[in-house]
Amino acid sequence: MNAARPIAVAVDGSPASNAPLAEALRLAQAGNRPLIGIFVLDTGWVDYIGNDWQSAAGARQGFLDYIRDQLETQAEAARAQFAAATRDHPAAHFTVIPGDPLETLCELMARGEAETLIAGREAFQVCGRPSVKTLARDLAQRVPSLRIV
Amino acid sequence: MSTAKETGFLGKLPGALPGLALLIGTMVVIRLWVEPWMANAVVFDQKGWLIKVTHLNYILLGIIMGMLYRNVLFGGKLPEIFADGFRLSRLFIKTGIILLGSLYTVQAIVKLGALAIFLIGGFVVLSIVMVLWLGKLFGMERSMTGVMANACSICGVSAAVATAPAVEAKATHVAYAIATILGFGILTMFISPFIGHALGLNDLQYGAWVGTGILNSGQVLAACLAFNPNVAPGTAVSVGEIWNIMRVISIPFAVFAVTVWYWAGHEQPQGQRKSLGTLLVEKFPVFVLGFLGMVLLTSIGAFGDVGIKGGPPASATIKMIRDWMQWIFGIGLVGMGGYIDFKELRQAGGTPLKVGLIVGVTKYVLALVVVLLIRDYLVEI
Repeated sequence: MNAARPIAVAVDGSPASNAPLAEALRLAQAGNRPLIGIFVLDTGWVDYIGNDWQSAAGARQGFLDYIRDQLETQAEAARAQFAAATRDHPAAHFTVIPGDPLETLCELMARGEAETLIAGREAFQVCGRPSVKTLARDLAQRVPSLRIV
Repeated sequence: MSTAKETGFLGKLPGALPGLALLIGTMVVIRLWVEPWMANAVVFDQKGWLIKVTHLNYILLGIIMGMLYRNVLFGGKLPEIFADGFRLSRLFIKTGIILLGSLYTVQAIVKLGALAIFLIGGFVVLSIVMVLWLGKLFGMERSMTGVMANACSICGVSAAVATAPAVEAKATHVAYAIATILGFGILTMFISPFIGHALGLNDLQYGAWVGTGILNSGQVLAACLAFNPNVAPGTAVSVGEIWNIMRVISIPFAVFAVTVWYWAGHEQPQGQRKSLGTLLVEKFPVFVLGFLGMVLLTSIGAFGDVGIKGGPPASATIKMIRDWMQWIFGIGLVGMGGYIDFKELRQAGGTPLKVGLIVGVTKYVLALVVVLLIRDYLVEI
């Protein structure tokens, strides 16, 4: 049963994802396992700018739309990065999940959707809120099977 | 950005009730039990020491409780069940600001506003120029500099989010600008009342100082009410908020100016080009119109006498509105505390923090010096 469980890797489309992606691919190929690439579309921005209250609704929504465009562009870059790296691996699948990066990855692993999670030290920092800087460290505390590359 | 199904205000209301109940319940406990207990408690043989020395009142206690809810009790994230209710805190504060219009008459606005425009205008321009210069000095990216310039000069988060798309700022740029100004703002919100009391500032001087020197709108309001929780003409909040509203109104103009600076010498993409008129429509804080409407109604005597110093006492309606305002601000500020996320603020750093601190401290200290220098010229309302 375990042999078929996938390897998950956090991919953000930046050079910081190259090493974790290569390591995940190596593990997947060695164990003949499916590989899941994950990009988390950070929905925490709404709360992050929430402690402000005097901007016009247009300014606030305009900004959230602008950030969403950036995140979607980054998600596409991540998808392309994953596709290029895994073109020779038949069981590779890429997914974009909206949510808080830390909580989303923890929940995914808690549900047992993958056996191992691989993440870079700078995962999702390319377009993240400041707290994403400690994502790898926070994941290490909550995901026993995490490998930081 | 939100993944939640979009529903109207009334549709969201049932889901907001638990959070709303927590906000209201917290303020009820603070105002009806905690504050009176602190006023009577004997510490170091002194009755009321907790209030006299720590200057804690329902405003600061409310913000502290909000911060404790998020960062301690809920482990850094508001639970879904309370999130929608906490989001309503902004509505509370905006409603409070609109009602605050009942403290002023048109004549008072004209008297105080002229000086506010002069001081605020001067400090906005000075801060923008300083950030642009420091950004160049520290080799900060041009778009990051643009966001920081307006964030440090006008009103923090509002200005940062309004400027970001116009200067093609990356998400991380905005994130660090927000973390820097909020961190600085929270610090000044808690220390300003102490400094104000230590220097023996009166409400007029204090309101003018924090209205000019604190970077973020929410924190100006909190710092004023922490200094003097009363809401009446001539109190710190009535002065500080006029200053603040002048500054908030300048957002579209500052966004336009920084956009022009950012694109100087380059062709701005067609779809992104916006005239000052478009920016005014998009970025103008609409609640200011409500505030001005309230001033107008007050000026024509719609609510009876305002209770200006030396004049007839405030009418029963005006007194009732002021009582509501204290509750509304108190509840809103518990919610504001609930949005202060230590995890995010701890990560502020690098050049944005350096620039933010230099400009923030300069502005904060210089505003105090200027207010002390012109204290005889400040107009009582």
